[in-house]
Formats: sequence, structure tokens, C-alpha cells
Amino acid sequence: MAKWGMVIDLEKCVGCQACTVACGMENNRLPGENWQDVIFFTEGTYPSAQLKWFPRPCQHCENPSCMAVCPTGATYKTEDGVVLVDWDKCIGCKYCMVACPYGVRFYTDEKPLVAPDMRKVHEGKESHSWNPPWKMPDAREDWKHGVGIQPHDVVSKCTFCYHRISKAPKGTPDLDPQDPKLREFTPACVVTCAPGARFFGDLSNPESNVSRMIGDKRGVRLLDQLGNKPQVYYLTGDGGAVPSSRAINKKV
Amino acid sequence: MNFTYPKTPSEAVSGALKMFGESHTTATIWKLSVAVLLASLAFVFYMLFTEGHAAFNTSSDGVNWGSAIATYVFFALISSGLTIIASLSTVFGFKQFYPIAKRCIWLAIVTLIAGFSVLALELGHPFRMLWAVPLGMQIHSPMFWMGVFYTIDLGLLLVKFYLMWKEDWDSPFSHFIGNAGFMAVILASGMLGLLFGSMAMRPMWFGSATSVFYILSGVLSGAAAIVFSVHLAYGFNTKNMPEPLRLLAQGDQLPKVFATLIGIVLLFLLTRIWVGLWSNIDGMEGFVALLKTPWFHIEVWVCLALPFLMMLTPSMQVDPKWQVRASFLVLLGMFIERLQFIVAGQNVPMFKGTWMNAVTPYTPSLTEWALVAVGISAALALYALGDRLFNLSDAPKVSMEAAGQLARG
Repeated sequence: MAKWGMVIDLEKCVGCQACTVACGMENNRLPGENWQDVIFFTEGTYPSAQLKWFPRPCQHCENPSCMAVCPTGATYKTEDGVVLVDWDKCIGCKYCMVACPYGVRFYTDEKPLVAPDMRKVHEGKESHSWNPPWKMPDAREDWKHGVGIQPHDVVSKCTFCYHRISKAPKGTPDLDPQDPKLREFTPACVVTCAPGARFFGDLSNPESNVSRMIGDKRGVRLLDQLGNKPQVYYLTGDGGAVPSSRAINKKV
Repeated sequence: MNFTYPKTPSEAVSGALKMFGESHTTATIWKLSVAVLLASLAFVFYMLFTEGHAAFNTSSDGVNWGSAIATYVFFALISSGLTIIASLSTVFGFKQFYPIAKRCIWLAIVTLIAGFSVLALELGHPFRMLWAVPLGMQIHSPMFWMGVFYTIDLGLLLVKFYLMWKEDWDSPFSHFIGNAGFMAVILASGMLGLLFGSMAMRPMWFGSATSVFYILSGVLSGAAAIVFSVHLAYGFNTKNMPEPLRLLAQGDQLPKVFATLIGIVLLFLLTRIWVGLWSNIDGMEGFVALLKTPWFHIEVWVCLALPFLMMLTPSMQVDPKWQVRASFLVLLGMFIERLQFIVAGQNVPMFKGTWMNAVTPYTPSLTEWALVAVGISAALALYALGDRLFNLSDAPKVSMEAAGQLARG
């Protein structure tokens, strides 16, 4: 069984946020609720300050703390290494949000992040929290795997586009969007990445491109010290960096 | 108060309704709290049906758990503390505390119900919880075990109260229920602490000491609640109390237990803030923010240090007026503590949206404050009901003379 993972080359990422937009369109996200985000931040102080950015999808951890704390089993890990939320089991306690070190989870019913509130402009039907004009085909919606327009009062997050990757031919080492046969099975953020900074493949296959890149280019993981063991790796090269600090200067 | 305590459920219902026409302290609390409960509940339901949980000021971008969870923790730990204080007499044989045991158990039941009610209104799908948690059997989740132990705790409290109502204080079964209840409540409150203490990614909460702190501060909350409620039940006048209870209320034993607990909790809080300010680990910055808020100082100095001094001063500790003031301040302090602890653990940002360079602010919304009012008024209404219907100062008759002597010291 594959263990799907992602590699993001920070030297290639230009911070264009096409991945964020593609994810939003593919997964019917409310404006502002970005399952896949690019975090912008500054390092240093004037005149030597630097503007930096950091793409951050769900890390789909090997040891996901969000899954361990879920009291109902709504958050679970599939055999192919993807962490998902079963919207039919989620009670909306938000414990997983508290336990996720990466802040990648969203609760459906919160104050709108962008005005006007799209949930009121496009009111949802049949338990859907809203009715986006660009929604995915109904046949692809799958609440057991957290795919589609989420219902009220549940927690949602990036699924690695499970509705696409789960249909990929078995044994495929890499889902390369350059390959026309694999493009439709590749996560939307990887397909759309203009500088080609994102790679998606089978981490359990030593011959996969993602495995080789992690080895050859010293892939690192975000907040590795917490032991969640993310399946998203970053290639930092000389120019990139994985932020390790919460960026607050402690002054007593 | 000269009442005939009802013996049947229909008498109990008519007794509760009759209270609307009576004029004494308990009836006043009953009428006021029922009015506040209905009004606040109506407002919360209106907001939940029109706005949903968007009426809360919590967000995925910062503080996920706000004042509703703090209110739940506040009440759940008061309940646990009250059960532990009741155990002083029912489990450990300190007979001088028998006159407060039944009131403790009733208050433990009503505060747990108030806490659960607030939690249910905070959850996205409270009814789904009823089948999804037992069927899920997620034994790795502290929240699962908290639910298991608090459910057992509530069941045992109800059985224990029923036995006390039937004046069964000393049968082997009654002792068994008392012992089992004590164990359940230690596990329940400890697990509630572990729910936060397990969070390695949130260093302000992390560590098994959080469990110990929850148990100890729970006992302090319970002590404050029983001191306050005993005086409240008798119109803040010890002359109205039955003798064994008056001896306990005017003696220095309960205040000394109270003072010890305040001292322990105060030490715990101060050492925690010391470690927090000293440590460089990422995520501890919340302690600096905590120190800058006036609420933290009100909690520590006004609501804990001051009552600590009051209850250590010989002339004040036996004076009901100061006991009431100290217990009210401690209850207020514990509410502030629950809110501050839960918020401070979350408002140092992790990885979300545009990088945050400050502690994420959080203030409860009007709906969230109404939910706090639901919890307080529900607890007070049910407490008044119990006070009127169940003779909460009852105690085993044969033990009372000995208890009186013990209370006199």
C-alpha cells in the first residue's frame, strides 16, 4: 500500500498562492478558509529584514495527534497514509484543532473571514453549510472522507485531494502532473503550481521521485521535535527555511 | 425555615411550584435564577438558530476553545471538589463534616449538570456525541476517558444522593457507592486535567502536573462552593442553622482546610508563572501576556492571596461574614483561572494564515456570556430546588453528637 506524501521545494516556491486558489476551487472552500495556505512573515528588522513565505497544507502526519485525541474516531488515517475527517461522526468538539501543531483545521461555523458572508449569499441546501457556485460534481462528494462541501458544525481540513489520489492506478510511485495519464489523480495544488515546486508520491517506495528528493536534498519536516512525523517534506536548499519559531519576541 | 419536605415526586413538583409564591432566601434564589436561566437560554438558542456557532468569538485562527469550555471546566471541577469534600465524612470518617455531606453531593450533581449543559451547547453535534463516543471507543483520547469517568461519577452521585435521601448513611452498599464515587471523581477530574496536560504542542498546558492542579484547584472550588452555599441557605445567619452545622460553620476546621487549599493553589499558580517566564521554549510567551492582564492579578492577589490571609486570621476565619467573602472571591478567582488557563494556552499563534506577531486576542461574545449565565443560573436554580425539597443539612442522627464534639475541637 502506498504512503502518500508531498515534497515542497522552498527554493522554487515563489509565493504566488496559486496552490491556495486551486485548493479553494477544487474543494469548495469558503473564501478565507484555506486548507492550503501560504504563510507570509518577516525575519530580521529594518534595514536587514526579509520577507519570507511558507506554503503549509495539512501535514498528514505519520503519528497524527489530531487522530489520537478525537473522542469519536471521526479523524482517522487511511491505509494509504492520508489523515481524513468523517463528517458523519464529527461532534464538533474541536479537540483536534487544539491538538494539531500546524493549525491546519477549520470549524465550519465561525465568523466570516471575508465580507460579505458567502454562506448567506449562497445559502446551503440539504445540510450543506453553503452552496458555492463553482462546486465539485455531486458524485465526487464523500462526507466519510471529508470531501465536498462540509455540513454544519464539523471540522474540516486538507485531504490531499483524496477524491483524486484514491483513484490513482495502484503501485504508481509518483503522481506527476506532467504525465497526462496521472494528471487527474494528482492533488490540485500540485497540478497548478506554476514554478513546479510541489511533488507528490509514494514515500514508502524508495524509487519514487519524492523519496529520492528527500534523501538527496535533505528534506526536513515542520516542528519535527513534536513527534508527529509529517508526510510533507520541505527542501530548503540555500535560500529557504522552515520556520521553527512562533515569531514572538519574549520580553519580560 | 420551617418546611415539610416532600416525600413523593408529585409533592416535589408542587413544592417547586409553590416556591414561586414563597418569600425566603431559597425562594428568592429560585425565582431569580429561573428567570435568568429562561432569559439567557432563550437568547443562546435564538443566536444558535440564527447565527450558529458563528455567534461565538472563537476562531480556527487562534482561540478554538473559549469561555464555554472554561465554564464547563469551572463547573465540572467544582463538582469534583464537592464530591471529594463529601468524602471527608462518607469515605474517610471525619464525622464533623457530615452536616455538609448531603449538600455537597447535591451541589456536585447540579454543578455537573450545569457544566454538561454548557458543554452541550458549545458542541457542534451534542446528540451525535451520545452514540459516536461510545461506539468510537477511542481509548487514546483523554476526552473519551473524561466522558467515561464523569458519566460514572454522575451516576454514582445520583445513587449516593438517593441513599442519603432515604437516610441510608452507613450500609455497606452506601459505603461502597461512596468509595467508588471518590475513585471515579479523582479519575474524572484528573482526566480533565490530562485533556489539556497531554498537549505537547501547547507548552503552557503540557505536563502531568496539570492533572494534579485540576484535582487540587477543584477541591478548592468545591470548598468555596460549600462554604458559600451553606451560608446562603440560611440567609447568611448562622443562628438559623441546625446545631451540628452551626458548630461546623462557626468552627475553625473548615476554614483551615479552606486556607490550606488556597495556599496550595496559590503556590501552584505562582510556580507555574515562574517556570513560564523563565523558560525559553516556544509557546511559553503566553505567560508574559498573562502577566500583563489585570485579570491575572485580580485572580492571584484579590481572589486568592486576600482570602488566604482572611482564612488564616483567627478572628476572621470563624466569622461567617468573612467566610462568605473569602469563598465568593475564591469562586470568582477560579472562574478567571479557568478562562485564563484555557485561553492563554491557545493564543500564542502556531501556523495559520498570515504570520501573527502578537498574542491572538480573545474576548467572549455576548452569546458566550449568556452561556456563562446559563451555567450559573442552572446551578443556582437546581441548588435552590434541592435546598427546598431534600433537607440538605440532614446527617446521620447517631453520629451527630460525636460530630458536634469533634467540630468544637
